[in-house]
Amino acid sequence: MPDLKTLLILIPALPLAAAILTAALGKRVLRGGSHWPAIAALLLSFLASIALLFEVQKRIEGPAETRGPATVTLWSWYNIPDAMQKPSDAGTTPAGLGDFRIDVALQADPLTAVMLAVVTCISSLVAIYSIGYMHGDAGYWRFFAYVSLFVFSMTLLVSANNFILLYVGWELVGLCSYLLIGFWFEKPAAAAAGMKAFLVNRVGDVGFALGIFLIWTTFGTLDFDRVFAAAGTLAGDWRATAICLLLLVGACGKSAQFPLHVWLPDAMEGPTPVSALIHAATMVTAGVYMVARCSPLFAQSADAQYAVAAIGGITALLGGIIAITQTDLKRILAYSTISHLGYMFVALGVGTLAGVTAGMFHLMTHAFFKALLFLAAGSVMHAAGGVIDIRRLGGLRRRLPVTYWTFLVGCLSIAGVFPLAGFWSKDAILAAVADKAGHGGEGGLYGFLLLSTFLGVVLIDFYMFRPFFLVFHGPERLPPEAGRHAHESPGTMTAPLVVLAFGAAVVGAYFEWKHGFANFLAATPSLGSLPHPPVEVGGHVASPPEHWGIAVVSSAITILGITAAAVVYLGNEKRAARLAAFMNIFGMYSLSYGKFFFDPIYSLLIVQPLLGVARLAAWFDRHVIDALVDFCGRLPSMLGAVLRPVQGGVLQFYALAMALGLLALLGFLLM
Amino acid sequence: MPHELALLHNCLLVGAVLFGIGLVGFVTRRNMIVMFLSAEIMLQGVSLSLVAWSRFRNDFGGQMLVLFIIAVAACEAAIALALVLMLFQRRGKLDIAEWRGLREANQPGFREEPPPEAPPEVIEPLPHLTPAGVAPQIPREETDYRPRM
Repeated sequence: MPDLKTLLILIPALPLAAAILTAALGKRVLRGGSHWPAIAALLLSFLASIALLFEVQKRIEGPAETRGPATVTLWSWYNIPDAMQKPSDAGTTPAGLGDFRIDVALQADPLTAVMLAVVTCISSLVAIYSIGYMHGDAGYWRFFAYVSLFVFSMTLLVSANNFILLYVGWELVGLCSYLLIGFWFEKPAAAAAGMKAFLVNRVGDVGFALGIFLIWTTFGTLDFDRVFAAAGTLAGDWRATAICLLLLVGACGKSAQFPLHVWLPDAMEGPTPVSALIHAATMVTAGVYMVARCSPLFAQSADAQYAVAAIGGITALLGGIIAITQTDLKRILAYSTISHLGYMFVALGVGTLAGVTAGMFHLMTHAFFKALLFLAAGSVMHAAGGVIDIRRLGGLRRRLPVTYWTFLVGCLSIAGVFPLAGFWSKDAILAAVADKAGHGGEGGLYGFLLLSTFLGVVLIDFYMFRPFFLVFHGPERLPPEAGRHAHESPGTMTAPLVVLAFGAAVVGAYFEWKHGFANFLAATPSLGSLPHPPVEVGGHVASPPEHWGIAVVSSAITILGITAAAVVYLGNEKRAARLAAFMNIFGMYSLSYGKFFFDPIYSLLIVQPLLGVARLAAWFDRHVIDALVDFCGRLPSMLGAVLRPVQGGVLQFYALAMALGLLALLGFLLM
Repeated sequence: MPHELALLHNCLLVGAVLFGIGLVGFVTRRNMIVMFLSAEIMLQGVSLSLVAWSRFRNDFGGQMLVLFIIAVAACEAAIALALVLMLFQRRGKLDIAEWRGLREANQPGFREEPPPEAPPEVIEPLPHLTPAGVAPQIPREETDYRPRM
């Protein structure tokens, strides 16, 4: 087995090589076989990340000297010594502080290893699925090149060992998201959605960049281990809050949290594998990863943790409320993703070790069941000829048996039915929040968050089982676009569905047994400083006392919610209509169906004024600057027009000109 | 000696006048032969100046040069007139305005302004007495060759 450093380099390098190979050879040489480099690279990366997990486990259990993160430095990108003025009493400043030194360096610790495993696993399954889904598309090779580039960027992001390299990976995943959302770029809706995603991400990135600048001026270094080691010096300072809030803005942009969530539903214009990979499992979790990585910083500022939890809570409710009335299956899943990311942020905002590990655990299980749901939705779309409106589909469970069963497993998992994966991770989040509400002394906000999370459980049941019952049960209804497509998907598409269903069922129980996941993650050096209950016998660090009460209550609510959804949507349509009318009492139905009117409000307040400024600038550019340049261009011809009559063809004028010139010369000489 | 000086001044003056006449003629006239003539006049003006200076400075160089000039001018006249003849044979007219091709594309060249119209001649009819008597009979041959009787 290759050693840890080689594995760490291989995991991003293989997809990069595949991307370059596919981009260079895809169009002419590989064509229909363009998937081979990508599949090979992603599967190999997945195997490498599993090996990396074992290597990291060995390091943790080994002697104490090897406990720190394993770093491999590829090359030194910038090295400007003494870039920052050290304070005058610099007697005890550690060496190297104040040097602007950015190395292209990757590190491996449990947090990174977990993220890499999730990313590579989901990517390889989605890539296999895409062989069937994107079959026959004109841009087949482009798709696999972009997906490989994306996996490279994401693995770079999670393995980076300093903020700048993290930012590079951050921007690259944003770029790949833009390219993949606008994959069918001739479709104006897709091109606009890609632009919207990129621009909203950009708004978040500004905050992130400002946060990085503030980290530099505060700490004098941008390496993770040095910053987090020095984080304790900032307790209660305004700088800690400022840094954390700015980093939160960046995370909101990338992970589609409350004010910046508007890009994710529109991003569903991209192909379904893209939605599954990028907007469910990997890119949107980059924000969660970043906040988890920076938990030592967030631990210094209680206000920032409130902000994280509050934004997460608002987003969770927002996503849930909007999702229950939407009619486009992919948009329902998109709002569900927004909501679950909100839950992850709530868990991170709790601030204890239990909270962070619960958030990361939910990230992992969410990746499995959300990717499964998206891919199953893609399978339905494939069979229905591109129609994804749940009002036009019905009774498909006989035609699409594999899709039906895997979708059911996904729905049960996301609803949190025992013993599927979602139950364990949701329970972990609820337990962490309850602990904070009970013992942390910050009862108000966290108690409210606990209640809203319970409400969210009901919402999840509704918005997931409503399309499930509408699409798969009831009388069979197929839209005319289906034509002859209305059969089960080919093997390349159903195999990943089955694997993901297996994962969505089993992953939670497997990793939560004996709290293996939490303990593994707790060994991450930067997380070691978070508040946690005292170490028990046997080294179980991160588990709060078992909250059987919460587990029972949430399971009961889940069962009730599912039966309610079944009653409403398996019955006749009048019940659904009456429910909708009931919800409209406070106008909630219209508010929810209209997605809380975020898009029109943003359009009115931000987009139209900016477009006006842009038109003004365009007018100025065309009529003032271009006029100036054109004038400079016309100057010689104007001069020529003045001088042209000298060559009139009149012979005597030439003679006269000669004589006058001679006179002038004589006058000049004699004066 | 003042006499020599006055002679010089007068000769130079005449030479300058000749030159001026030649210049104005060259610039103003349209007939090619007359233009050439004016050029020759300019040449003669210069020759006169040369002779005047030579006489004043007691140096035969100027007069020698004039002799050369006269000879060369004769040759040059031959060539020039041959050229004028060629040009005339191309167009059938001696007008320099015919030859205005060597110019910029959108310049008008000569601007032909029609000469101002002469006011119509007013002929006052002379008083005329009505002839008295019988009109004479004039044979036809006489009216043919004598238009007015």
